[in-house]
Order: sequence, then C-alpha cells, then structure tokens
Amino acid sequence: MVRTSSEFPGIEWVEGTGDFIRIDGEKCTGCADCVRVCLAGCFAVEEKKAKITSLERCMECGACWYVCTGDAVSFSWPRGGTGFRTRWG
Amino acid sequence: METYDVIVIGAGFGGPVAAKKCADAGLKTLMVERSGIPGEKVISGLVIPIYGFLFGPAFIRNGNPPIERPICSVVNRIVKGGKIAFTDHSLKVPAPVVLGYSAYCKPFCTWLADRAVESGAILRTSTTVTDLIVEGGSVRGVITETGEALRSRIVIDSGGTQNMLSIKAGIRKKFVPEAIELYMIWDFEMPKADVDRVFGTSMEFFHAMPEEKIGAPLGYGSTLYFFTYRDSIHPGLGQFLITEGKVPNVQKLLRDYFSNFTATVTRWKQDIAPHAKLRGVMWDVCPIYAGLLPETREMPIYSDGFLIVGDAAGFEAAAFGDGVPNAWFSADIAADTAIEALAAGDTSRSFLARYEEKIKADPFIIHTISDGRRWNMREILKSRDENEFRRKVRDHWGIGAFRYGNMGGPCLRAARRAVAEDGKSISSWLNMFRRYYANWEQNRFDRLSTD
Repeated sequence: MVRTSSEFPGIEWVEGTGDFIRIDGEKCTGCADCVRVCLAGCFAVEEKKAKITSLERCMECGACWYVCTGDAVSFSWPRGGTGFRTRWG
Repeated sequence: METYDVIVIGAGFGGPVAAKKCADAGLKTLMVERSGIPGEKVISGLVIPIYGFLFGPAFIRNGNPPIERPICSVVNRIVKGGKIAFTDHSLKVPAPVVLGYSAYCKPFCTWLADRAVESGAILRTSTTVTDLIVEGGSVRGVITETGEALRSRIVIDSGGTQNMLSIKAGIRKKFVPEAIELYMIWDFEMPKADVDRVFGTSMEFFHAMPEEKIGAPLGYGSTLYFFTYRDSIHPGLGQFLITEGKVPNVQKLLRDYFSNFTATVTRWKQDIAPHAKLRGVMWDVCPIYAGLLPETREMPIYSDGFLIVGDAAGFEAAAFGDGVPNAWFSADIAADTAIEALAAGDTSRSFLARYEEKIKADPFIIHTISDGRRWNMREILKSRDENEFRRKVRDHWGIGAFRYGNMGGPCLRAARRAVAEDGKSISSWLNMFRRYYANWEQNRFDRLSTD
C-alpha cells in the first residue's frame, strides 16, 4: 500500500516500515526537542514524556535522533523498499 | 555461502562510483540499496559544483548523465522590507562553461548505478543493511533486515548521513546537532520558457537580516535559495538543529519563513509565483558543518575490512553546501584502496590507513569540509553590519569561493595532477562542457534502466 499526504505533495510512503524510530520512556526527559524538529509532526509530549503519534509521514531524516541528547530516541532504517520515496528530491 | 570481494552499502552518489571501479577491476561487487530505485530517498537542492565533474571519475565527465540546467552564474540578493535592496551578480562564467549543473537525485543516482551495473556490479535494491558482520575485530560483510548474512572481503559504507552502522560497530559516533542543518525544500513546476526568462542559467539566493523573516535566523546567513532546473524551480531553506545552545522550533520556523517570503517579496510575487505550481514538499538533514568541528572531522573513516565514504564519513562540504563531489572523490579513493588491499591479500586497518592518507592528500575533501566562511555569516548577521553583509554575501554559498582564490589553489593542484596523469585531460574538460550543454539544449541524455 502506498500513501500520500496533501500537506506534502510529491512524496509517497510505502507501508510496512516497522517501528524504525522508538522512544525509551525511562531515558526521556520530556524536553520536547523531538517535537520541535519534526516537520512531519510524528511526536507529542504527554505527561512529561515524548511519544510517537504516527510515523506515517516520516521522511527518515533522523533530526529527532540527532537532537535527543539523552539517547531516548533510537533510529534505524525502515525495511527495504518501504517508507518515503520521491521523484523530486 | 557466496562471498563477494566487495560489498558497497548504498547506491546514492558515492556507492555506484566505488562499485563501478571495483567491478571494472574484476572484483565481485555487490551494491545493497534500501530504496526500491536508487536515488528515490535522496533529497537535495542540488547544484553539483563543477570541480566534481572536472576532477571526479572520468566516466561521469565522459558520459551523458541527466542534468537539469547548466548553472553559469549566482545571483545574491539582499531583501529589505520585501524589496531587493542589493544585488550581487558578479559571479558568472560564459556558457558552455559552468559553475555547476543542477540535477534531481533520483535520475542522477539511477544513472550512476546503471554504470556500475554495466561494469558488472550487482545491484540489490529494497534491502536494508542493519548490521555489519564483525569477526575478530574485522568487518567481513553485512546483515540485512531479514537476518541474511552477506559476506565480503571488504565493505565500503556509502550509506549516507544517518550512518548508524559504523556507530553500532563502535567505529564512529553520531554527528552532534550543532553540525547539522535541517532543510526544507519545495519543488515547483515552471514552464522552461519562464525559467529561462526569469532566471536564465542563474541560481538565485535571497538573504536578509533576521527581522525580515525570510530565512531562518542564524541558518546559514538567513538565506532562502532557488535552485533552477529545466522546467522547475527548487527553493529551500535550512535551520541548524541547535542555535544559541537551544533546539529552535524548526518545524514552525521553516514554514513561517517560507510563507513570509512568498507573502512579501516582490520578486517572488511578480516574477516567479504567476508561473510556478507547487509539486513537492520535502526535507532532510545535512551534516554541513561536521568538518568544522575537530571531534567529528577526526572520527575514524576506516577500520579493519571497512572504508567509509561520502556523507557517512562526514565529507559534506561546508564551503559548498554540497556533498556530491566529495562523495565521488572519496568513493574513488576507497575503491582504489580496496583494489590494492585485495590484490595484496591484506584488508587490515594498518593497510587501509592509506585510505585516510589519500583522503588527506586530496586537493578538495579536507579543504572544503573545513571552510568556515558560510558559518561566519552568522557573525555578520549578529553584528548587523550592513556593509559587511553586502561585501560578504557572495561567501555564503561556496561557489562564491572561486572568486576569492580560495578554491584556486586546490583547483590548480588538481588540474596539474590530472594533466600529469593524462595529457588529454584538458580536451576532455572542454568536450564535457560542450557535450553537457548540447545534451541540455536538446534534452537528450542516456536512457535510464527505469525508463
């Protein structure tokens, strides 16, 4: 299955990525830096802990992983042939 | 179990260059790419600087890759109150000579991968490498997401910026956020006749003091840039992940500044917008200043049985905002090193140390990753010195570097070396300029395997 988003034209997302970004609740300080850098709006902070609301529009940039100084965010690649793709990059 | 001589991780800009050279040397070479088609996960506002073509792999220079537009000049504009207060158009060369060529990543990377496959490399797409096989401290292959072990005598990692493989293997650390810019890119269709009329063969940059709010504050020079393609334009702007010690609200800033630019700047409203139709919105991170920081510049770029190239090694050029030439140069050097190591039957760290020696001896790589002039634009913005801003505005994007003789030394050294190695280098450069320009005029490039 392939998804599109009206907010981000020109991009397609192939389903079946797996949980390629995860948050370790023990390590998360609730600083919300991941929320501030995620252009896809994948994160929210609830009860002082970050959580992933959806990876459906993730562009796999890893900004969340780079800014998380507490190493609460882990990042890996989605499964091969899944995730975002574009002709216009 | 099948064993390859060389496994190359990634078929972006660097991987196919390494794979082609290894395959040409008769090595059994496998490229493993996580996307379905090479380049469809590569995001860039891309004008590949000319020094990559002149001094990079000959097969690119002598080939017909799909370019979008020859870029013969850079227009730097300073915006004040929505109007153009200052324009610097001093940086130009006469066609068919160029400062660089713009390109979309997907067709260009596919063209590169096609050349590697033509030379005998095997391309495996839709396959994510999740781990390295490490035996006795030496890299001996890769593990895919399904747990499949693919073995090789040497591994070349051209897996791009978010290089977690070498981190997991304890060879490198992740880039610090201070070195990274998150940039947002918009792609607009625009009839070729309009791009020709409005931009010609120029790319255009809009700069401003922070209060104009058209480029992220303390991004690189509060700049919004327009890369020009055949029948489209590709504006974008970037923001550091850390500014003044804090993580700014990047998702809001980037959208706000682009909206403000399109709402206020007359050049956009009158000349561009009436002809432009939005087609794509995307973003990525770029470890653009990794080379300025000793802790990232000095991270290992090789280990036993393992060579790291391109963005994965932190070779993004701070001077140019572009990693493609350095990906080509480093991939070429990595392939040479792999070929020598396999011929000698020695893939140990001590043998592969020659990779780093050659990287350091390259005229461009270290020079371009450690050029801090674009970074220094932030200080000019903080000082609010408008005269200094006008004087230095050309510096913000590295092709301006050619004006200052800053790139003159490296180019001269590279040219001398190229001519010493091959007396026909100069004619091959002239042929390239002429052929690339004719290809562009006729919109005729090599057929891609995906066509």
